Amino acid sequence: MNATDTDGQRSNEVASAYPPGDLAIWIFILAELLVFAVFFAAYAFTRMNHVELFNQYQATLNRDAALINTIALLTASYFVVRGVVAAREGDNALCARWTWAAIAMGAVFLVVKSAEYAHHFEAGINLRTNTFYMFYLSLTFFHFLHVILGMVILAAVALKAQRGGYSSADHTGVETGASYWHMVDLVWLVLFPLVYVMR
Amino acid sequence: MMTSAASKRFLRPCTWVYAALIALTCVTWLIGRLQLSGLSTALLVLALALLKGHLIGDWFMGLRAVRGLWRWAIVIWLIVPGALITLAFVLSYGN
Repeated sequence: MNATDTDGQRSNEVASAYPPGDLAIWIFILAELLVFAVFFAAYAFTRMNHVELFNQYQATLNRDAALINTIALLTASYFVVRGVVAAREGDNALCARWTWAAIAMGAVFLVVKSAEYAHHFEAGINLRTNTFYMFYLSLTFFHFLHVILGMVILAAVALKAQRGGYSSADHTGVETGASYWHMVDLVWLVLFPLVYVMR
Repeated sequence: MMTSAASKRFLRPCTWVYAALIALTCVTWLIGRLQLSGLSTALLVLALALLKGHLIGDWFMGLRAVRGLWRWAIVIWLIVPGALITLAFVLSYGN
């Protein structure tokens, strides 16, 4: 189903009853968000009983790397929005360029996060080090895997756009991939302050 | 130099939303960099995160053009974990 909204500007007065993209991806997105919500609540309530420990080891995290990663994901999301707008305007080549740019931003995230993991592993930190690192590593790695899946989906969208596979009348695939990517970004926007900043 | 039409095409509403998201992220990062703590600071950081999430849902995911329950799907998702995290932090500061 195609959304009537183009970059927040309605092309007609009737709002859609369904979100942009395939409805199935939204069911999947809600399921994923529910899992992350449980993770976030578990982190926060576990922290209640280990405040000193969580504050002590949170201070060892690299917030500059987290800032770069947040900017990378937000920029990727922005590029994805521009790709969707291009697809809605029937410009496949432009849609592909924006989408590849978004994938490049996703790659920046993976490189920076991998460097963070390498630093932790070199210091001998693993899931059994303490409760804070158990949550930090499992939460961020679970999200890391979602970034990879999001990039794979965006790559499929970009390749199809390169072949001229979308039009202003049929671009549900672009919106579907975009919706999944925005979910990945959305999760990080809560994960970043919760794990790296709130104390 | 961009023409007026090109400028309008580039400076779409989503560009302003993106700029706001980056600015809010920098505020969060600065709070973390300064290692500011306290319940009010933690809740401010959480509020900024929820605001950013709302902007993503409305403008990037396009939910502001959707009616009915789907319109509020992301807002509800933000409120539920947001409330639980708030409760956990309030209780941790009460201990």
